[in-house]
Amino acid sequence: MADKLAGKTALVTGGRGGIGRAIVARFLREGATVYAADLTEQGSLAEHDADGSRFVAMNVADEAAVQAAMARVMEEEGKLDILVNAAGIEIEKTIEDTTLEEWNRSFAVNCTGTFLTSKYALPLMRTAAKSGNSASIINFGSYDGFIADPGLAAYCATKGAVHALTRAMACDHGPEGIRVNAICPGYIDTPMLQSFFEGDGSGGEGGNIETLQKAVRDVHPMRTYGTPDDIANLVNWLASDEARYASGQLWVLDGGLSAQVQQMKL
Amino acid sequence: MTKHTAIVTGGSRGIGRAIVDRLLADGANVTTCGRGSRPEDLPEAVHWVQADVSQTKDAAALIKAANTAFGRVTLLVNNAGVQVEKTVADSDDDDWDLVMNVNCKGVFNMCRVALLDMGEHGGNIINIGSISGMVSDPSMALYNASKAFVHGLTRSIAVDHGPKVRCNAIRPGWIMTDMAEDGFALANDPEAAIKDALARHPVGRFGRPEDIANMVAWLASDQSSYMTGECLTVDGGMTAASPLNPGLF
Repeated sequence: MADKLAGKTALVTGGRGGIGRAIVARFLREGATVYAADLTEQGSLAEHDADGSRFVAMNVADEAAVQAAMARVMEEEGKLDILVNAAGIEIEKTIEDTTLEEWNRSFAVNCTGTFLTSKYALPLMRTAAKSGNSASIINFGSYDGFIADPGLAAYCATKGAVHALTRAMACDHGPEGIRVNAICPGYIDTPMLQSFFEGDGSGGEGGNIETLQKAVRDVHPMRTYGTPDDIANLVNWLASDEARYASGQLWVLDGGLSAQVQQMKL
Repeated sequence: MTKHTAIVTGGSRGIGRAIVDRLLADGANVTTCGRGSRPEDLPEAVHWVQADVSQTKDAAALIKAANTAFGRVTLLVNNAGVQVEKTVADSDDDDWDLVMNVNCKGVFNMCRVALLDMGEHGGNIINIGSISGMVSDPSMALYNASKAFVHGLTRSIAVDHGPKVRCNAIRPGWIMTDMAEDGFALANDPEAAIKDALARHPVGRFGRPEDIANMVAWLASDQSSYMTGECLTVDGGMTAASPLNPGLF
């Protein structure tokens, strides 16, 4: 399966996070040159093994930092074929409990970050598209952009915004040879999910976390939640030339969770 | 407001009956039908026709009966439906024939005969779909698929037969009927089951047939004159929420 991305240059934001880390590793196995952008070299994972990617310290909401990162990619590689906007945060609150600072921070990372990295990646991606193969931007939406989880209001709103931005970018930049898609994950086993389970919102509540995790798995038609590798499998396909006709779409990947109606306990 | 001459299929009980009652209260002339004989408690003013909408000749006879009783039909509400609670693996040919004949061919039959006149003089068609045509109820495979057919047909009629005909669908969620109450009675812990199910409805209650009738009344009115080809969900917010609500475990 390797070498699907040979000769391509990719940048993954949140590249040291739960999902981003798996995407970086997969891209490397497929032969790409990979930049992993994150706040810190370890990101949200406690341990990180060197993986052959080039680390870029970058806050996606910091315009100067994003410009500097793209300048570095331009200098070193002269183009960018693949941009994955995987950086994201989740505030586990209703709008009443959410402070303005938290609201702004959610939008800064989840929306403004996607805007800034895409904005400054576009010139590099147009250059890449001149090769005859389209360049690919992959945003991170969420199934929460379609249906709500309780106590995640700002998160749901940012993901809905990413969905609309994805379609808008696909319209605007398709003629330039740039495809834009979003992946909408359901429950994926990441530090973010574990924090959700342990949180004092709808997760913990003094309950047994293993019972909770089992209950969550059982609600899925596939009887499990996903892994970062499941997401990386789809990211890899969307990034590859096999997906040359795929653009402007929202790709739900959730083990069938959102295909079903509420599961009453009858 | 337009004084409608309406046909409501499957109006003997449940949602269909609530629609009949509401249209009657709004001043419409209402004809309704069912496979059995006239329900004893059906209001005197309602014209009852014994008909099986899955039979093409019955559909034609139903329109004719409404014409004879009240004149041109201006509003058609396709409510009649059946459900078979099985997976694909468990369903047999008879299940397929029953569900598809009533839920799909029945709607098609009624629209087809109604459009003979509506296509020329105008009209309004309201189909009852279901949230199950969007997201799956477990072990209701053919029913779920039949409702997706209704949603697709709704859009086609709106596109092909506008501007004279408007056509919309309503997607009800869990509407409390005798059938739903039986479901709770069979649960291991009926009280807990009701509490759990209620918690999944942001409005804090189950639907009532009148909730759907209210939407029908609006879609039947001139207030909705710019709306066509839409499938409108009325489910107390249930499908706006994820089916996975850790707060309920």
